Amino acid sequence: MSIQKAVKTLLVVFAVTALNACLPENSAFRGASSQNRLIYGLTLEPSGFDPHIHRSSELGIPLRQVYDTLVYRDPNTKAFVPGLATEWSVSGDGLVYTFKLREDVTFHDGTAFNAQAVAANLDRIVDPATGSQRAVFMLGPYAGCEVVDDYTIRIVLERPYAALLDTLSQVYLGIASPSALNAYSTARYQFHQVGTGPFTFVELIPGQRILLRRNNAYTWGPPFYKPAGDNSIEEIEFRFYTDPSTRVLALESGEVHVMGEILPTDARLLAGNSAIQLLPVNVPGQPTQFLINTTRFPTDNRAVRQALLFGTNRNAIIDAIFQRFSPVAWGPLAANTLYYNPALNGAYSYDIAQAQALLASVGFADSNADGILDINGVDLEVNVVVPPWGLIPQIAELLQDQWRIIGVRAVLTPVPTFPALQQVVQSGAYNLVAFDTAGLDPVFLNDFFLSTGSLNWTGFTSQELDTVLTQAASAADESTRQVLYNRAQQIIMEEALLLPIRDYVNLNASRAQVQQLAFDPYGWFPLLNNAVFSGTGS
Amino acid sequence: MIRVTRTLISSAFSVWLATTIAFFALRILPGDALQAQLSMSGASQAVIATRRAALGLEASSLTQYIRYLQQLTQGDLGVSLVSGERVTDALLRNLPPTITLALSAGTTAGVLGIVLGIVSASGCGRLSATTRALTALSLSVPIYWSGIVAIFLFSVQLSWLPASGTGSVVHLILPVSLLAFHTAGSIARVAQASISTAAQADFARTARAKGLREKQIIAHHVLRVGLLPVVSTAALQFGFLFSGAVVTESMFVRPGIGRLLLDAVIKQDYPVVQGVVLISASAYALVIAITNVLNAHLDPRISL
Repeated sequence: MSIQKAVKTLLVVFAVTALNACLPENSAFRGASSQNRLIYGLTLEPSGFDPHIHRSSELGIPLRQVYDTLVYRDPNTKAFVPGLATEWSVSGDGLVYTFKLREDVTFHDGTAFNAQAVAANLDRIVDPATGSQRAVFMLGPYAGCEVVDDYTIRIVLERPYAALLDTLSQVYLGIASPSALNAYSTARYQFHQVGTGPFTFVELIPGQRILLRRNNAYTWGPPFYKPAGDNSIEEIEFRFYTDPSTRVLALESGEVHVMGEILPTDARLLAGNSAIQLLPVNVPGQPTQFLINTTRFPTDNRAVRQALLFGTNRNAIIDAIFQRFSPVAWGPLAANTLYYNPALNGAYSYDIAQAQALLASVGFADSNADGILDINGVDLEVNVVVPPWGLIPQIAELLQDQWRIIGVRAVLTPVPTFPALQQVVQSGAYNLVAFDTAGLDPVFLNDFFLSTGSLNWTGFTSQELDTVLTQAASAADESTRQVLYNRAQQIIMEEALLLPIRDYVNLNASRAQVQQLAFDPYGWFPLLNNAVFSGTGS
Repeated sequence: MIRVTRTLISSAFSVWLATTIAFFALRILPGDALQAQLSMSGASQAVIATRRAALGLEASSLTQYIRYLQQLTQGDLGVSLVSGERVTDALLRNLPPTITLALSAGTTAGVLGIVLGIVSASGCGRLSATTRALTALSLSVPIYWSGIVAIFLFSVQLSWLPASGTGSVVHLILPVSLLAFHTAGSIARVAQASISTAAQADFARTARAKGLREKQIIAHHVLRVGLLPVVSTAALQFGFLFSGAVVTESMFVRPGIGRLLLDAVIKQDYPVVQGVVLISASAYALVIAITNVLNAHLDPRISL
């Protein structure tokens, strides 16, 4: 190409760009096509949208706006506040919960809300024909319910279950209109959902969108819901951005106003863009962690487990992989989980000398000078099970490098799916396995650390830990629970049953004109009732 | 007629083979969608076993396969393990957007490929070099990369076209252009090669000797022969079009069979994957069969 031509081409490109800059920002296809319509990008398309049946977190993002729950948790104090129930009481034995219900509530289809409606929902969730994949398990040892009068309902349990209010505050146990539940088959209801929440369900077109519209009759929200004003969101359209690489582009082009789960590297790039604000939300529950198998060589030795923890440079991992958008995790709970034990802060800080001393103290030495410690001719080698989600593969690679410094060889076993991970775990042929769960109430620790827990992949059994965890799960008094959970976390870390990496952070981002976008205390679900557009429309 | 029947029988065999391979290949991985969902909810092994048994998932692969074939003969493709929706419903809903995308991209690619091929074969200097460069780009650059570049350029920087969604013809422009561009490459290559060969064949020399003008020779003699292999190549591109749709649909947030497949594979939702494989294998076999018949008509030298 001649120089003249190159210059001409450049001029054309320049002219086009300049012309474009003069065009109005709000082209027809852009974000808000109608007044105050919020476009919200979801990261994966759930295969099902019925909160009573399906289990994805993504379904809760739109449906948290459609359903009310009996109780809510205040996003700031995390305390339980009235929702559809105005007050509640628990029997002395912890087996009977009695809820007084609001009398001024109407479902979006006009059906009146009452105790019978709540009973119909609970019956549906526990009915085996419904095939619930999550909600039924959240009800725990649910035995049945009893309509006392039109506005009073009792929930009866088989045994005490301190997490009941916690689960009742989540959208999976949201209350749907009994007439709508009757009108559609179990598989079809998800396309015609009817709740009592601040937004009504307009349509769900799989693969395309979910559309919600404000419920103007809504006056029964929890105390932290503000009444709608001129700048409030009128309509919300949810779209599914399954390809991570296009999420940020959609946000930059203005096609969406809010996008969930941005990659940390993308978030770093967005930090310099004044049209976009980052909204990192800490998710309570377990941190990103590796559970350590206490029943297999060499991690059956506590000193080896502790050495692995000391030999892990978590700051380096957080810098490289999470772009410092995550805090370091110190124990089995993320810092914003209820009953977190702050005494663990700083436990097992990066200390190579300490790690090496621990390994030497139990007889490991590099007798064949190959850089890997050994004992009785057996190398110090750990097998790490690596699932593909949550940037675990990247973390595992860094761990491999870091542990080489203390003379430990890490062998990575990638698994493609959760059942494949379970298969390796069941075979017992692993030393560390990455897995964690989210939640505000640490009752989930029971699954992982009770001797009989369904996810007791550390293989650790201890009379004391069993007692402490069982009592903590059923104790009614908060300060008692705090003491018990403090002790449980302490035991878990003294025994080095897991390697915590970082507290999970849900990296959301939004266009700057979206204001007062808050998330519920579980970290996943936005509360769009209070969100407003600053200035005019888009 | 016998020829057509024979083609149809061999197509049916290919479809059966594809679905059977898919059926057993899916079951090499442990577990399934239902097991994954339930174990993550903390369900006990007993509960999971009961639920799986109710859907026939506890039976041996062979038993499941026989039941699958039986259901298939009644037109029943089963239900999704996650959503509980009938697979037929999911397919019917997702087929129209994919057909729209594939047909538009396929047609555009055919025209684009042939034009690029003719120009490249014509050997007239700079223009031909440019088209050859475009062809090389089309074949060598992965679609997910050019997709990101296109979105960045046309949506983020220039704001000319929407990067995601459906609803209007405007939404089709980027995905269709992208898919068409990458499909056109092979068509252009084959067109260029076969036209060049045909242009040097004896009949073309004869035509030149008779004193016909070059344009006439190309249009009336060379193209008729030169474009024959293009028909088969274009048909084979149908497969590429489908795999391209998987990427394109995810990237441009369009509903369709490709995205349905991707989601179902990730979640191990076997009935849905089997349904998509059955539909796409049938469509592919049908296209190939039609091409064979068409080729035999166009070229008397080919016999089925």
